[in-house]
Amino acid sequence: MALCTEEEQSEDYLFKVVLIGDSAVGKSNLLARFARDEFYPNSKSTIGVEFQTQKMDINGKEVKAQIWDTAGQERFRAVTSAYYRGAVGALLVYDISRRQTFDDIGRWLNELHTHSDMNVVTILVGNKSDLKDLREVSTAEGKALAEAQGLFFIETSALDSSNVAAAFQTVVIEIYNILSRKVIQTQELKKEDPAWMGSGKTIVLHDGNQEVDGQAKKGGCC
Amino acid sequence: MGGAAAINLGSGMEKKKIDDYEPIPIPHVRVDRFGFVIQELNDSPDGLTKNRSACQYAREERRIRKWRKMIGIGGSDWKHYVRRKPHVVKRRIRKGIPDCLRGLVWQLISGSRDLLLMNPGVYEQLVIYETSASELDIIRDISRTFPSHIFFQQRHGPGQRSLYNVLKAYSVFDRDVGYVQGMGFVAGLLLLYMSEEDAFWLLVALLKGAVHAPMEGLYLVGLPLVQQYLFQFESLARENLPKVGEHFTQEMINPSMYASQWFITVFSYSFPFHLALRIWDVFLYQGVKIVFKVGLALLKYCQDDLIKLPFEKLIHALRNFPEDAMNPDTLLPMAYSIKVSKRLEELKLEYEKKNGKPAEEPKGKQKHLLLKMH
Repeated sequence: MALCTEEEQSEDYLFKVVLIGDSAVGKSNLLARFARDEFYPNSKSTIGVEFQTQKMDINGKEVKAQIWDTAGQERFRAVTSAYYRGAVGALLVYDISRRQTFDDIGRWLNELHTHSDMNVVTILVGNKSDLKDLREVSTAEGKALAEAQGLFFIETSALDSSNVAAAFQTVVIEIYNILSRKVIQTQELKKEDPAWMGSGKTIVLHDGNQEVDGQAKKGGCC
Repeated sequence: MGGAAAINLGSGMEKKKIDDYEPIPIPHVRVDRFGFVIQELNDSPDGLTKNRSACQYAREERRIRKWRKMIGIGGSDWKHYVRRKPHVVKRRIRKGIPDCLRGLVWQLISGSRDLLLMNPGVYEQLVIYETSASELDIIRDISRTFPSHIFFQQRHGPGQRSLYNVLKAYSVFDRDVGYVQGMGFVAGLLLLYMSEEDAFWLLVALLKGAVHAPMEGLYLVGLPLVQQYLFQFESLARENLPKVGEHFTQEMINPSMYASQWFITVFSYSFPFHLALRIWDVFLYQGVKIVFKVGLALLKYCQDDLIKLPFEKLIHALRNFPEDAMNPDTLLPMAYSIKVSKRLEELKLEYEKKNGKPAEEPKGKQKHLLLKMH
């Protein structure tokens, strides 16, 4: 797999992914590191939503992730929850050096499930793994919660870059795999009808103009 | 002018700028005339890096003299002047308040000076004796507010401490609002021009509606006023710029994707500081409608480009307007020429009808509350 730079021909797939979690856990810096290989120790807090796209190459197919980075403060959920709609992937981020942000994960999961499809491919991300001496949430705890909730799990550091690309890629590859399985199944069922993609929610675009119904993702996320 | 003035070397020092003399508080750090650290890549962050000619300098001096006369000593003639010549005041404010008088004039036009005089000792009480449930949230955001400004850069320095105090005091003063991200940029901008206590009362004047409609709804649970403003802005954009409106609908762009922060921070979050200040001059005098006007003017200025862009590039463009679009001397006259008052009122009623109850508290009640503080 390789990351492609921006601007090129039209992508094969477009996935909407949301970045959620408490304020100041490092969501914007994860995205800045992933999309632009940048890190700002004192980046401004996100007001409302920010947006970024990133192209990736998966099995020779060009996949574009459309990533929505949301404000973490509870008050902003009034305006950010609208952005969960249509998301097929989510990075649910906490700060390993602040237990409160981990304790709030349940609330974020509820929020995600209230406002989006139950089958959003979700990864639990313990960020700031570079802060070894300040760790308040062990890797085992993170892993256990992820298993209990049926989520992927990874620990990252936007500061030293570790696992940042992997976190995003895990989500995108999984969405791609679910989609391919579905496409294969559906093709077996409807071999003679190439127009089957014509209806449904605009969640996943194929070849830039055909749409895959939201149901295509039904395959679970783990 | 309190702690802010002692460190705020960049702002208000027109003379020093002209003599090309910049006092530098920390070695090897170059700041622009407002105190923002100059990054190598960012060639003209304040849009005014060139030395002004002697003629421009003389004109600026004349302007300051006129303003001083209009204000009187410590603001003593202000109210009288506004009553006698409101159109002169409006015209002069639209041209920009001289930077050295900005702090004082902002307090006069926002009504915050009166609040301060009516409530002696209240701020001190809030800062020293009260505790707030938002303290940790505030602390976490302090270093993330104007991180590139020299006044706010130093950890636990006077800038960060006064920002903390103002936000904490407000979160105690109005526990329904508490602390919301975005308020820090508003408080931070004020602190570059006035003392902590003055900044606090200006925040109160804005949110509780001392002169204009209260804006606390921007920060209350559910952000009701943000939702109303976005609804109004979307309709205004459609009506004033039908081509843009149609294209945005096609691309499924709505104003919450780009304009929330315009309203929540009154353009102080990500716009060039010299433009933000000019907007604030008018905002404090005439109220929130300038935010709508500037937003519409930005879309109008860039509409030929915007209507060609697909979704992703469009979002990017709406968050990164070109430098020429953000020149106050072209953008603001365009904004002034867009009429919105009547439609804003109608759209507000339409919004309230659609959503049940009004988004704002009646103004009279709030004033009463403030007087009681005394």
